[in-house]
Amino acid sequence: MTIALLLPETATSPRYESQDKPHFMEDVKQLDPNVNVIYSNAQGNASSQQQQAEAAISNGAKVLVLDPVDAKAAAVIANKAKQSGVAMISYDRLITGTPNVDYYVSFDNERVGRLQGQYIADHTKKGGTVVMINGAQTDNNALLFAKGAHEVLDPLFQNGTLKKGYESYTPDWDAANGLREMEQALTTLNNKVDGVLAANDNLAGSVIQALRPQGLVGKVPITGQDATDQGLKNIALGYQSMTVYKPIKDETQAAAKLAVALAQGQQPPAGLVNGQIDNGSKQVPSVLLTPIVVTKENIADTVIKDGFTTWAKIGVPPQ
Amino acid sequence: MTSPEPAAESSESQEKGPFYVLRARFRSGNLGMIPVIIALILTWIVFELLNPHFLTPRNISNLVLQIATIGMLGVGETLILLLGEIDLSIAAVSGLAGGILVSLSVFMGINPVLAIAGAIVAGALIGLFQGFWVTVVGVPSFIVTLAGSIGYQGLLLALLGQEGTVPLSDPVLLAIASDYLPKPVGVILGCVGVAAVVLMGIRSRKARLDRGLSAPSQGSLIGRFILTAVLVGLVVWILNAFMGIPLLGVILIAFVLLFAFITQSTVFGRHIFALGGNREAARRAGINVRWVRMGVFVLASTLGAIGGVLEASRLGAASPASGGSTLLMDSIATAVIGGTSLFGGVGSVYNALAGALVIGSVENGMDLLSAPSSTKFIVEAIVLLAAVTVDALTRRRRRSQ
Repeated sequence: MTIALLLPETATSPRYESQDKPHFMEDVKQLDPNVNVIYSNAQGNASSQQQQAEAAISNGAKVLVLDPVDAKAAAVIANKAKQSGVAMISYDRLITGTPNVDYYVSFDNERVGRLQGQYIADHTKKGGTVVMINGAQTDNNALLFAKGAHEVLDPLFQNGTLKKGYESYTPDWDAANGLREMEQALTTLNNKVDGVLAANDNLAGSVIQALRPQGLVGKVPITGQDATDQGLKNIALGYQSMTVYKPIKDETQAAAKLAVALAQGQQPPAGLVNGQIDNGSKQVPSVLLTPIVVTKENIADTVIKDGFTTWAKIGVPPQ
Repeated sequence: MTSPEPAAESSESQEKGPFYVLRARFRSGNLGMIPVIIALILTWIVFELLNPHFLTPRNISNLVLQIATIGMLGVGETLILLLGEIDLSIAAVSGLAGGILVSLSVFMGINPVLAIAGAIVAGALIGLFQGFWVTVVGVPSFIVTLAGSIGYQGLLLALLGQEGTVPLSDPVLLAIASDYLPKPVGVILGCVGVAAVVLMGIRSRKARLDRGLSAPSQGSLIGRFILTAVLVGLVVWILNAFMGIPLLGVILIAFVLLFAFITQSTVFGRHIFALGGNREAARRAGINVRWVRMGVFVLASTLGAIGGVLEASRLGAASPASGGSTLLMDSIATAVIGGTSLFGGVGSVYNALAGALVIGSVENGMDLLSAPSSTKFIVEAIVLLAAVTVDALTRRRRRSQ
């Protein structure tokens, strides 16, 4: 039996090659040693991904576990899989606009945004001004993060508890764009910034670079996401306040359980599927995993304990 | 010939009114920096009307920091465009140089000066490689640098792929982008700069007169000195009203002046223009075409690497995505908006600085307004298209003569 794991890129996050792929392989091996896994990475190119999926189907894959480069373009792949009688699991990012997606496995992205928004709501002084540096508007996940954050913060903006001073989406999630946005936010607000919602750790790093010359580093709560070594270091040093940790092990394990069950022609284990997500054409049965807030206090109990990273990699002494 | 000799323009213009220069230049198909200066002034007026924070010392200081990398890459791209070639790898080279810098400094603990040197030497070697492929093997620069661009992204990924974003911690490397000159030093530097312009202007006029060439009149020379002094004084005054002149700005200006000197006042530089204008004629005139082209490719990639070092210092980090996003587009646009022709032989390094100011101002202003991504993309597209259109129109003029 064969399963294909099709991941989107390597450029903006090291996670795919260093975490998703090895963990998934291991999990599948443990569940059923007879299952063979084909792995391909599309390097950010949607048409490469289509070719890789077609190749996997030709090579006899019964299940595709696909993290789409492009959520909409991948609908074609899902349709093709259906025609060939191959099951389709949308992994980490949702394939939209097709009924031919069997399952979706991901962290609850709106919840990530809500956790960030809640942190800002709890740690920004009353009447304070909030800056929001969102991700790329072309990335569906970035829209969901922002949506979740707004769900928490908008009522506070409306009743005057907090003030929204500046908000911008960051083209390509690019650190240089994020740095310029934060510099301009500080300029237009005359440094009156009391909290910064940065969508991920990379952008939080840019925010810190912009705050540094103004002497504001460590004085303003800053959110993040992904629990990167850079982000965790900034948290340990007191520059950044929190990051949202998504244990990738949980995600690969859920995907592996689903994929192996489908390959064996069985129903997924009871209790695994815990929700439904609308992809525009269908309510897709989903496994929605819970993200974890990491602050200075619980680095040791979360990312270090899980073996997600080490103090040496973070680059600070154990705390 | 219906147009006057370019060298005689300034003396004749005084007799025929201020617009004479403009009309004559348009007729001769060499508008020089005029369109870009107009574009810059318009950009500034529009953004100042939309947001009163735009023309404040603080925001001008931001702008200086924000254009350092694209300015440096724009100078490199300008050199290549002067040859009539194109370099699509310059942004990827800058990203790779940033990756090499953090690898040497963070992973290997190498001293910051050597780490910078390592990154820049890597850039020079890349230039040598690309230059070899273009000039000796004879593959078009478009393809060599496109392939290169993909390859260098691969190398960067190999360096940092497992780590993701790697923050710099060396204080010297971080200081490059975050230090400001003490205010009195800024004033002294401004005075020295103006004095240098005056001295060089007088010497060059004397040299031209001694050789019996046409030279600018004394009046126009003095006018130019006063204009320079006023501009430099204004810039120093504005930047000192915030935190002083940013070190990044000094580095950028130093490189612009250096390369302006190389292109305008050295034999090598004149050969670049000759080659870009007409390669066959240049060859017949005895210019060593191969060496000049190779040299330009080395210089361009070296400048790309220097830009990468500046960018890494500014972001305080390098990542596998460094040198990506719109950096390549911005670098080429910087050169072209500045008035350097895509068709070779026309342009100047100063134009790259002006082009960087336009691109930087547009991005700066739109972020100040927190404009939606849709607007950002559309406005940048319009600015670029307008610039290349001016180039194409003036080129038609040039050709029709």
